[in-house]
Amino acid sequence: MWAHRCEVAVSGVGFSKVTRSAEIPLAAHALEAVKAAVEDSGLSMSDVDGLATYPELPATGHAVIDGVTIVSVNCMMAMLKLPNLSWHIQVETVNIGGAFQQAVNALLAGVCKYAVVWRAMHNPKGTYQNLPGTYAQGPAQFTAPYGFGGPGQGMAVAYTRWLETHGQSREKMATLAVTQRRHCHMNPHAYFHKQPLTREDYLSSRMVAYPFCLYDCDIPVQGAVAVVLTTAERARDLKPRPAYLAGYGQRLKFEVTGRIGSLSSYMDGGRSSSSLTWERSGFAPKDVDVAQIYDGFSASVIYGLESYGFCKEGEALDFIQNGRIELDGELPLNTFGGSLSTGRIHGLWHIIEGALQASGRAGERQVKDVNVSFVGASAPIVTGTTFIFVREPY
Amino acid sequence: MSDWSKVARPIPVPNEWTKPFWDSAKQGVLSLQRCQACRRFQHPPYPTCVNCMAIDLAFEPVSGKGAIYTYTIMYHAGDKRFAAAVPYASIIVELDDAPGALMAANLLDAPYTEAKVGRRVEVTFERLNDDITLPQFRLEGFGVRQSRGAMSEESA
Repeated sequence: MWAHRCEVAVSGVGFSKVTRSAEIPLAAHALEAVKAAVEDSGLSMSDVDGLATYPELPATGHAVIDGVTIVSVNCMMAMLKLPNLSWHIQVETVNIGGAFQQAVNALLAGVCKYAVVWRAMHNPKGTYQNLPGTYAQGPAQFTAPYGFGGPGQGMAVAYTRWLETHGQSREKMATLAVTQRRHCHMNPHAYFHKQPLTREDYLSSRMVAYPFCLYDCDIPVQGAVAVVLTTAERARDLKPRPAYLAGYGQRLKFEVTGRIGSLSSYMDGGRSSSSLTWERSGFAPKDVDVAQIYDGFSASVIYGLESYGFCKEGEALDFIQNGRIELDGELPLNTFGGSLSTGRIHGLWHIIEGALQASGRAGERQVKDVNVSFVGASAPIVTGTTFIFVREPY
Repeated sequence: MSDWSKVARPIPVPNEWTKPFWDSAKQGVLSLQRCQACRRFQHPPYPTCVNCMAIDLAFEPVSGKGAIYTYTIMYHAGDKRFAAAVPYASIIVELDDAPGALMAANLLDAPYTEAKVGRRVEVTFERLNDDITLPQFRLEGFGVRQSRGAMSEESA
């Protein structure tokens, strides 16, 4: 087990308004979320001395403009002018989960006391993916000429492979989409908060990239979420009940850039990340009371459930049936609605919900008697990170 | 069947690692990068062997026969230039000679509903311009059936 388990905790969390596309500069969303998280902790800005983010712009072919289409650490420093800032980082791999883990490490190293981690996501007005022009360079020279454009197709081919090798049917995924949408009716920050989704809606919705229909894809939005991390000792003196971090992991395998269609890249990534988290925390999948698993595309949940060890390979679409992932089920899943319901904010919202469930602060959607709260965060499992939060330190 | 005639495909830009692949395709031969130490094929081309870390790599011809490893049917023209062809099948092919080396392509000369995991396919070539010819795939035996029916150059 990890010597530092339960030495760091999530304290406050914050959300910005989520809009369908950009109406105000992204920096305003990030600022709103960060201020809310600091306030939720009962801290003031002068207490914040650490900053971390993963600022990548997922919409391709758009200009990177700091404060407008991304919010970098430099941008946040310029806005907040923190008098006591002592540490910051901006990560390039393993998505926002990697930034979160670096903040944990910084707190354990004692180089900051209260770290804020945010993820701000831009959705430009108009076309989301401005795909390569007349020419296809680099790895795209082997994919773009064949109409492999956005990330959806790269995920779709892995999902087809999964469905056909396991003799499964995509219609079973309706249960995930509908259950998560119901969960988000109890999450006022979610983009689809008040909008119902029925099984019939899912089954009759238009195809995007078979096997993905519209409701297998998270909707691009503009918004930000943020979290305050601190040492367990300090967290106990703050306003909210802490969610203690029992262990974390990151994916340790990477196939060559440009390799497409490989299902193993998701499965190997998920297995390598979660095995670290199980080993460090001392828990096993059977101990988990509630799980948040990244769902930018629905199939990520399937790869997650299997590669993290919640069920056997090929069985995830059966595993999620019969009420198992409901709030009172055996494994309540994506209790905040997931990205499919909140909109595309990447994995920090999954991490936040995992922490809220562990600390008993999830309100109406709180699962009963949670101690062990699992999170598989970040975009496809190939860039994934995993976490376990607990209510009681041990 | 998808109408590819109105699709302006993005033109590949060869680089120092990929040029032999495109030079070979221009001659109507599919060649993949092969490690001269462990003899494994790999695709896309890479500076080192992803299996054994050797740097002695060369392009060698492959038979061009294989199976559909997986596929997607595109209904949404994320890339507007492909709008005329939707719905179309983008497939991933695993060649008999090069297990593990996955190649993207379209399934040509067949309805998109013919795309299934495991279905046998063979390489064909689609000329884009004087410099670039694109390896593509069609169902195995299509060429034989065509020449029986009478001539017809490969259709694109």
